[in-house]
Amino acid sequence: MKELNVSSIQRFSTGDGPGIRTTVFLKGCNLRCPWCHNPENISSQPQTLAYNTGKKVTCGKIMSTEEVLADVLEDVEYYRASGGGVTFSGGEPMLQAEALGELCRMLNDNGVTSLIDTAGCVPWRYFESVIDQTDIFYFDYKSADRNIYSSIINGDIDIVRCNLKRLISSGRTVHVRIPLIPGINTAVSECERICTDLLDLGVKRVGLLPYHRLGSAKYDALGIEYAYRNVPIQSASEIESIKEIYNKYFITYIE
Amino acid sequence: MSILNGLKEEMKNAPQGVFCPHLFKCRGYEASRSECLPDIRADGIAAVFTQPKPYIYKNDLIVGSIRPYYVAPTQEDAELVSQYMAKYPERNFWQGVDHFAPDYFTAVNIGIPGLIGKIEKSKEAHKDDAEKIAFLDSMKKTLIALCDKLTAYAEAAKALIGTPGYDEKRLTLIADNCIALTKHAPKTFMEGLQLVWMIHNCFVSEGRYAMAIGRIDMFLYPLYKQDIENGSLTDEYATELLANAFLKICERRFSGGDDVVNICIGGVDEEGNCSVNGLSYCVLHAVRDVNLPGPNLSARITPDCPDEFLDECLKVIGTGLGYPALMNDPVNITALSRKGYDIRDVRNYCMVGCIENFITGMQPPWSDNRFDPICYLEDILLKYDAEALDNITDMDEFMSIYEAQLAIGVEEYIQRMRANAYVEDPENMTSPFLSCFCDFCIERGLDINMGGSKYPSVHGAALMGIGTVSDSLAAIEKTVYETKKAKLSEIAEALKADFAGYEELRELCRSAPKYGNNSEYADKYAVWYTKTLNDMFDNYTTYDGGAVYTAMAANVSNIHAGRDLAATPDGRLAGKPLSDAASPTYGCDTRGVTSTLLSLSKPDYTRCACGTVVNQKFTPAAFKDGKREKLLQLIRVYFSRGGQEIQINSTSRETLIDAMEHPENYPTLVVRVSGFSAIFVTLGREVQEDILSRTQHETV
Repeated sequence: MKELNVSSIQRFSTGDGPGIRTTVFLKGCNLRCPWCHNPENISSQPQTLAYNTGKKVTCGKIMSTEEVLADVLEDVEYYRASGGGVTFSGGEPMLQAEALGELCRMLNDNGVTSLIDTAGCVPWRYFESVIDQTDIFYFDYKSADRNIYSSIINGDIDIVRCNLKRLISSGRTVHVRIPLIPGINTAVSECERICTDLLDLGVKRVGLLPYHRLGSAKYDALGIEYAYRNVPIQSASEIESIKEIYNKYFITYIE
Repeated sequence: MSILNGLKEEMKNAPQGVFCPHLFKCRGYEASRSECLPDIRADGIAAVFTQPKPYIYKNDLIVGSIRPYYVAPTQEDAELVSQYMAKYPERNFWQGVDHFAPDYFTAVNIGIPGLIGKIEKSKEAHKDDAEKIAFLDSMKKTLIALCDKLTAYAEAAKALIGTPGYDEKRLTLIADNCIALTKHAPKTFMEGLQLVWMIHNCFVSEGRYAMAIGRIDMFLYPLYKQDIENGSLTDEYATELLANAFLKICERRFSGGDDVVNICIGGVDEEGNCSVNGLSYCVLHAVRDVNLPGPNLSARITPDCPDEFLDECLKVIGTGLGYPALMNDPVNITALSRKGYDIRDVRNYCMVGCIENFITGMQPPWSDNRFDPICYLEDILLKYDAEALDNITDMDEFMSIYEAQLAIGVEEYIQRMRANAYVEDPENMTSPFLSCFCDFCIERGLDINMGGSKYPSVHGAALMGIGTVSDSLAAIEKTVYETKKAKLSEIAEALKADFAGYEELRELCRSAPKYGNNSEYADKYAVWYTKTLNDMFDNYTTYDGGAVYTAMAANVSNIHAGRDLAATPDGRLAGKPLSDAASPTYGCDTRGVTSTLLSLSKPDYTRCACGTVVNQKFTPAAFKDGKREKLLQLIRVYFSRGGQEIQINSTSRETLIDAMEHPENYPTLVVRVSGFSAIFVTLGREVQEDILSRTQHETV
């Protein structure tokens, strides 16, 4: 039996795929996006969030796939009634692909579908561990700019593109999602570049994730600086005009 | 401005004086020349109905206002009231006996003349029984007074024609409707609604409170259907008429008081088939349009009711109104069936007050009170000496001692309830008008409280603090008998000291499993609580042989109850609120709403005939198109597992602002976005404001 490094398990997740879902957040990430809203999931080490309300939450727990299975199966009736299931997010859940593949297979055996929310910057063989067990992939595409990937978020755009292309051609359901980060990918020219990339990769549908800074309390609780603390959120009209660009090429929706 | 908004504006101009319908009643008593008690009562009631001049708003479509009962009483008036109210006392809401749902089915079917005809027939049948004849005459007198009131409204409407701001066509319609109702049963939807509203207005002017309207989508449905089919009514107009009446429920709110008028939609019909119809949606939309607390809307949800209906309910809830409360129909029907009523009557139940189940127009007004199981836990922990406590060897033994204490408590409660229900001179406490709307008072010629009603009186015992009790027992099991980290006597000492100097022990207690997390450890005590207490209450009846129901629904009284209680083994400090209604302790259900509802569907609520309340809050984003479906399925699963009730609140902008100011009241409010969720109150100020700014355009 394999083990997973679990940060938290969140029930009735309504923003993470179809139906009523439980999202299992896995701890550890290979990217370093400065706008990240789940900073507690970046390090793979256990961490304690100490909120200014006095509340303390420790996250980071090694759980066997069976333990996680038992926990998420408590909500199986909700999944069945609503067409929901289990979502794996993070951090980068694909870093734990082997155990994840095992858990997804166990879920399948119980008639529960799974969804993996990935930034896709891992070796393709990791995907091979999960691809036959997983129903939906949420795939983040953060920029069309090689430099942003390499110098800001510590990633490699070629790996991301290559994985996305292979995933799409494998016939799996892949939803490409773009976090709208001010100064990174929201300028008209940047949006157009991303669109060109995605068209090239065979993408049909795009989800836009409006920027938010809800994670700032977690940065405080961890005692780390948050570069986006003072970056204001986008207005509804800004989001709408970005959507219009994507709408020219894709079925576009705002999450 | 719409007619409804116009009416709202008019109502904001609150009447001067105080709401004092009793003054008119007492003047009626004073003027009465009768020697017969029910007749004197009827004279008082007739005076209330007919003495004050009718008030018609410029934007009225359905008339019947309580404004005329606002007066500035003189010293002599006050003396008159105290003299006659002492002579002819009343038992009302404030004595715990004034929740009632009238039989509007019969009233709408046969009209006032029909009711008077029924009384005449009954007089014939009881012609040798002077007492019954006298009571029937007193009933008739109140119905004639109702007709007089309708006539006075018709005349007032006609007299207003030509007055600036009033619409002649509407006034003529109002006058015609009122006159029609004095002559025959209502023939149109508008007449039917006018009749129901005027009767309701009469009850309020009698000084009654929390009078339900009940299943309006059933008893007005035949007239609605007829008018829709013949083209004289549209859904939009039906909604407008309903809203025009319902808004006047809030008249008292505008002048600093309030009223709780339960309106029920959906559920099964007498045959057991889902009854949701076009009128159900009109009622739902009317309550939405009124957009004020007061019309307390309940929706009976059946497993086979269309998703569209439940979704429409959620849309209305999502406006921030918090209504309708969603009731699991099969659970309530099973619960009431256990009490031995005819199944057809059970299926026609509605709610009175907040959520209390009521057999429409067939029972005397409700009485209820609070039963506090925590007291009996404290009786053990605070009164036994240390040796006796530590001699309790295991959890089973502790539970049997607690059960014995509870049994004593229930016995005491019933004694008090019976004493309170005892009326020294029932002949002097008759309710001739109310009795006209309760089966079989007319047929039997008997008052509603003296054997007239089809079923005997019921009493509702509101069981307090299921969460606090379950968590306390789980904490005792864990710390005393499982990990053995503390002796029971140490817990008792800590409670006596309100945990001062026992901070470590308190942490231990707080870290024990809690109800509401789908863990058997604590949840089993909630199951036990529900079963054990219902087994005990089932041993008793009311003074006239009716059932003693239980509820877990006590509105905010968990705060009052907590004030008088010492600290509890769950770590709660002295004086702090108990857990609310049927819910887990605030903030202790930490695994998410799906888990909370799995726990909450474990107790057998078919034992709780009165009803239960579970409150859940969601941010407005949860009610958006595409997301609402998830809430709908959440409720379907919860109900399929046997949950009884859920009251969902969309945290409107105002609520979110309140949560920023008073975070302690919103410990579990979750903000959800893709790949992220957070407890709202843990977020920083500027981030909370981000949410507010995005909330603005998501709500209506």
